[in-house]
Amino acid sequence: MIFSELYSAYYNTVAKILKAAVDHTLQKNELRLIIENTAFGESILNIAPALDEERWQLVHADGTTPIGNDPSMPLTILQKRWLKAISLDPRLRLFTDEFPELSDVEPLFSQEDYFVFDRYTDGDPYEDETYIKHFRLILDAIRNRYPLSIDTTNRRGNITHLVLLPEYLEYSEKDDKFRLISSGNRYGSTTNLGRIVSCKPYDKPYDIYRDRSYQSKPRTLEFELIDKRNALERVLLHFAHFEKEAEKLEEGRYLVRIVYDKDDETEIVIRVLSFGPMIKVTAPQNFVDLIKDRLIHQKSCGQ
Amino acid sequence: MAYSELVKNFNKIRDYMREFYVYGFKSRDEFTKKSARSYDDERRRMESWLGDYMKFRQTSDGKNVFISIDSRVSRHNPLYKAWKAKSFTDGDITLHFILFDILSSPEIALTLSEITKEIDKYLCGFSEPKTFDESTVRKKLKEYVSEGLIVAEKQGMTVTYRRAEETELCDTDVLDFFSEVSPCGVIGSYLLDKTDDSNDYFAFKHHYITGAMDSEVMCLLFMAMREKRHITLESINRQRDRISENHVIPLRIMISVQSGRQYLMAYTPRFKRITSFRTDNIVSVKMDDICDRFDELREKLDGMMPHMWGVSIQSNSGQHMEHVEFTVKYADNEKHIHQRLEREKRCGTVEKIDNNTSRFSVDVFDASEMIPWIRTFICRITEYSFSNKEIEEQFGNDIKEMFKLYGIEGGDCE
Repeated sequence: MIFSELYSAYYNTVAKILKAAVDHTLQKNELRLIIENTAFGESILNIAPALDEERWQLVHADGTTPIGNDPSMPLTILQKRWLKAISLDPRLRLFTDEFPELSDVEPLFSQEDYFVFDRYTDGDPYEDETYIKHFRLILDAIRNRYPLSIDTTNRRGNITHLVLLPEYLEYSEKDDKFRLISSGNRYGSTTNLGRIVSCKPYDKPYDIYRDRSYQSKPRTLEFELIDKRNALERVLLHFAHFEKEAEKLEEGRYLVRIVYDKDDETEIVIRVLSFGPMIKVTAPQNFVDLIKDRLIHQKSCGQ
Repeated sequence: MAYSELVKNFNKIRDYMREFYVYGFKSRDEFTKKSARSYDDERRRMESWLGDYMKFRQTSDGKNVFISIDSRVSRHNPLYKAWKAKSFTDGDITLHFILFDILSSPEIALTLSEITKEIDKYLCGFSEPKTFDESTVRKKLKEYVSEGLIVAEKQGMTVTYRRAEETELCDTDVLDFFSEVSPCGVIGSYLLDKTDDSNDYFAFKHHYITGAMDSEVMCLLFMAMREKRHITLESINRQRDRISENHVIPLRIMISVQSGRQYLMAYTPRFKRITSFRTDNIVSVKMDDICDRFDELREKLDGMMPHMWGVSIQSNSGQHMEHVEFTVKYADNEKHIHQRLEREKRCGTVEKIDNNTSRFSVDVFDASEMIPWIRTFICRITEYSFSNKEIEEQFGNDIKEMFKLYGIEGGDCE
């Protein structure tokens, strides 16, 4: 089953310890380092004594092991079934045309077994050959740290030429889009992959402007939450993906703080509005003013 | 029992994790009505697994513990760590590594007694060697056969055991990506643990990681659907703190990427209708017999989906279908608003009235599910109409309440 010691941090850690012990006599310090790097914060208190005291009879007192081969385990049926399931996902083609042979494996799920019901409908074209070509080149440039020369359409439909150093790809499940986060580009550090019309390696001398790399501009939003119509749960689940803090002020009234990126402020305003009178923003003032502006405009609509 | 950072049962951890991660405002006293020691143990475990993601705040009611994670920064879901904390016995781990060393390649096939004798050879060098009898080894081999790790082959009266063939693992970028965006992504995280390199080339925006806590339930539901089985669900009503049992036919998982909630759509024979169950409220899933009507019922659900805004298929109004329409205006430099309606609608139609006005209309089972979305257009809604008049009135009153809340309409800010 999915909750099994076969996948546990302890088994993985002991596999690494044994791999080292197969190769050479294990030193205490090395053991400690493997545990610290692979297992949990307090695991050193359990794994080292269990091996020392020979409760787990895998490493002798002198640091040798009766194990003769590098520890390994085949994939479980569950792991194969999950791999088979993702092999049916259209996004897989972005990465590869070849996938491990799993012809005799039943997928854990297929596209008919689940449905994302609130994803935006203008997602990236994952089956488009040009898009796939751009995606693969960008991923390769991220891996191997080389600059790219990109032509992209801006919001007005005009072509913009960019030379940039790709840092990483950011995927939004809601938008169903990939964005390239890069440095060295004076027009901004985020490029929608879906807007790229041409992409090739930049083969001229290139200086990296590190100061141009993407930096989030964290802002803290503070609001009071009135727990009517199950708002407490709905709001806290909705904002769960942010760094956040909630405090109970009194029965049915809570203070919530979330840290958001200034670049996403308009989106956060809209998300706050979706909760109606169950949320009252108290800080920062410019955010309060944004909400008020929208309400004043709404009033002018005759409501 | 002495404290251990490993756990046998995930459900208890699931409850605490949800409390610390989603809510995070309860003090120790509010948790300790059941058991103070249990609270202290679970909190300590999570600190050990999640390290700096655990935060503390001192309030007048005591110390509050909460988990705070910016999932846009973390790259790998930290909550998966809890799934890697299953407890085991000293014998389990010793036997595990010795067994796979004995059966180090798929070509080696041995009988139970040969394996048992080999195990003794591995252990004889220890000061007080453990002994594993044949029934213990057989039990472990049987367990590994069912997991697909070991293959048992019968030749005449003799059964031999060998390691399953290796399967090539896919690229780590594939695992990095799909372990975060695919259902039951924790399994991808298990696969990543088998590789030595994880490159972090992907970040995730609007990324809900809450569903990780329901991975086991999701996995069982998928298995039941693949086998077209009836299941017995135990689900909790958190308001009443009551667990109920339902015999249902699972039809589809519905996932929200705007709230992180996941639902099971299932047919309940007792009520002869399809209903939704939140997966985070499902406590257990038990497989029952095969359902002959699975395809017919899933087709029925397919037919309903064009009128489902979310997961509700019944309104409180008693109307079979509810009509909703609203009109928005936008300035010349706000033409993207029409596109927003097109992009964000889940069903229904968008009509362009003129260069600066668009109208959305739809027939849905439950109009109340649409309210949060319609509110996101506040500042430009010129008309709205709901066939469910109770909802219409509430929508209008909520906007008035918001005016009041922010001191608009000449009133003071509350």
